[in-house]
Amino acid sequence: MNSNSSVLSARELVKDYGSGAALVRAVRDVTLDVASGESVAIVGPSGCGKSTLLYLLGGLERPTAGTLQLAGVQLERLPEAGLARLRRHALGFVFQAFHLVDELTALENVELPALLAGASPHNARVRAVELLARVGLADRVGHLPSALSGGQRQRVAIARALVNEPAVVLADEPTGNLDGAATTDVLRLFEQLHADGQTLVVVTHDERIAATADRLITMRDGEFMDEARLTGGSARSLGAMTGLEG
Amino acid sequence: MRVAGRLLFVCRLVRGDIKRRRVQSVLLLAMIATTTTTLTLALALHWVTDSPFARTRAATKGPDVAGLFEPGFHGNVGTYQQFVALRRASGVLASSGPYPIASLELSARGHLVRVHAEGRDRQSAAVDQPLLTAGSWAAPGGVVIERGFADALGVHVGDPILLNGRQLAVRGIALTSAVPTSDPLIWVTRSALLASADKSRPLWYALNLKLSDPASVPAFTNAHNGGPNTAWFLESSQGIRADDSATISEEQQLLQVGSALLAMIAVAGIAVLVGGRMAEQTRRVGLLKAVGATPRLVAMVLLAENLLLAIAATIVGVVVGRLIAPALTSPGNSLLGSAGSPALTLTTVALAAALALAVAAAATILPALRGARTSTITALNDPARPPQRRPRLTALSARLPVPLLLAVRLAARRPRRMLLSIASMAIAVATVIATLAQSHATVLGVQIAGNILAASRHNSVDHVANVLSVILLVIAAINLLFATWASVMDAQRPTALARALGATPRQITAGLAGAQLGPALIAAVLGIPIGLVMYIAADGNEATAHLPILWPLAAIPITLIAVAALTAIPARIGAHRPIAEVLRSE
Repeated sequence: MNSNSSVLSARELVKDYGSGAALVRAVRDVTLDVASGESVAIVGPSGCGKSTLLYLLGGLERPTAGTLQLAGVQLERLPEAGLARLRRHALGFVFQAFHLVDELTALENVELPALLAGASPHNARVRAVELLARVGLADRVGHLPSALSGGQRQRVAIARALVNEPAVVLADEPTGNLDGAATTDVLRLFEQLHADGQTLVVVTHDERIAATADRLITMRDGEFMDEARLTGGSARSLGAMTGLEG
Repeated sequence: MRVAGRLLFVCRLVRGDIKRRRVQSVLLLAMIATTTTTLTLALALHWVTDSPFARTRAATKGPDVAGLFEPGFHGNVGTYQQFVALRRASGVLASSGPYPIASLELSARGHLVRVHAEGRDRQSAAVDQPLLTAGSWAAPGGVVIERGFADALGVHVGDPILLNGRQLAVRGIALTSAVPTSDPLIWVTRSALLASADKSRPLWYALNLKLSDPASVPAFTNAHNGGPNTAWFLESSQGIRADDSATISEEQQLLQVGSALLAMIAVAGIAVLVGGRMAEQTRRVGLLKAVGATPRLVAMVLLAENLLLAIAATIVGVVVGRLIAPALTSPGNSLLGSAGSPALTLTTVALAAALALAVAAAATILPALRGARTSTITALNDPARPPQRRPRLTALSARLPVPLLLAVRLAARRPRRMLLSIASMAIAVATVIATLAQSHATVLGVQIAGNILAASRHNSVDHVANVLSVILLVIAAINLLFATWASVMDAQRPTALARALGATPRQITAGLAGAQLGPALIAAVLGIPIGLVMYIAADGNEATAHLPILWPLAAIPITLIAVAALTAIPARIGAHRPIAEVLRSE
């Protein structure tokens, strides 16, 4: 992959925690290029450093060494405020634990990043309604997260990640807290996003979601061990394959 | 052995928790200590006039009964001879006087003050012999000035004065425990008095009596004071003491009001503190129960930790209270010596300790009960009270700039905490406004009346009011810091999330600090009228309660600036916590 055409590019990324005898190298010399519209799945066992890598790619953590470029901007040199501004427009996050604001409704959660990015309340509301309809929650806009199922919460989180039309969506174990049916819903959504040309980087240990990606990277002990280009599956076929759907 | 093991377990947990939550522990200690300090001060000052008055009375051969013959003032029943005959009344052991007294104008250091001058002999008196603290006794050409008045006037031995236009010098400064009138007192020779006095006005005469049985003083004064039109008035030593301690009584009253305010402000702070710790403590209770601790052992751990802090706070409070007390208890330059360190009575210590223990118990009971009632899993997983939803505020805030949007939403999450912050800050602002009104009244009082001695007494009351204001401001600041810190901790996840979604650290800092500014604005606006009402309610003059309009109005921006400055640091710390660390911990 040519880094010049990459929307996200990492070179020899290293992330250390602790020092001396207690030093832990969570990410070791990782190099990655993600092209616009590409879907990349990073799989590996728990504790292999994949979530840390995702946080590094999203500018939520600073690398110990290496360089990182997102939408043409060098991340490692940016101050905190610059990183925050970049995240507003260039990145969308989907977390395993959803991370919705408990006291805000589904609609208010989705419009929050748009308001933070300076959108007018009207435009933010219109966009949020549209996205909630797109993720199949048009009838749940006024519900609080506590009144939604796990799958519905994750769909709200996905709508929130898309509200500012980011260059890249980073997803950390998006199906990790979901049951079978909810997983299928989320798989379908990711497939739809991919089909719409959304650039995706998904960290997961769920093979079903990994199978929908263009590229599958296996990670172990902080390093990339293996990389495979996939033809891309479909949620329906995967659902049938895994026995989740008939 | 089992008991020793449990004790070790409890000690380890307590030590570990205090070490891990140093800031919270120090704040809790500071809050309880400040409250116990004020309680100690209030209790200590209660008895403060007794010992200086007793010392002064002994050193000046203070009378049991002081009589003043003032014909025409109250009435004319009774003659001068009858008044003088009181020296030979039954039960009188010794006497001095009668000494002539005249109302004269004294001019010194640019002040013109009406004084009562008493004509004295060169010989020492058997009763009421003023004690010289500087210079020498009254002689031709020189006067002796009562110490409290000399201090208020700013004159020293050797300074020139004008007495009814006659040039004299200050020969001495002295104390007495028998003040015949409420006007400032000076002593001159009999001949100087007669030369200076206005011949058109009758002289007054002072008579000092020592009784053989001090217990018979009330009966003696009742028997010899006569009817309402009697030309003389007899005052007992108890009455004189009450006059002397009038200033201190005002201070006691102020301190009692201050203690009540402090108790309120401390309760507000402690409620925030206990509420802030509740989530953590409940989770801890769940954890302890999960590893096999019984509810009783869990309660013991919590109680031991809070007790340790309360005991430390009691010691700090009592010691600091004892150290501060002399600064508050030196109002009476007219008494011998300062009040000194008030006695540290068992009652004082016991009451301060009881207050601290009550706080410790309150901080223990709620999490312990909650922990005992909820299941271990619930306590572990869902410890925090869910934040409140305010749909209108949320909708309104969407129209605001990002820092204000965050501020409104963060403040609305915990309305009870916000109300407690408002209460705490309003009390502090109100006290400052009441103090300003008091100072303003003193200045006006001096300008209108030119009464230097009254001004001096007012200054003493101002001094106490100022110290109280400072203490209240300190505890309000601690409350505010803790409320901000509790908000920062409580909003860790939403603020980390907001940053992940694109809010800058500066916007988060402004939002967290701004969440305190709204309550501060309300507190300042409420505090101004409350302060003026407090001043009037405490016998202040309504006419002088009208401060120049800019003074109370200035309280609003000053409060906002102070709150912004105080909350900036915890807010900044909260806004710079690593996002990934916070999000991962959920």
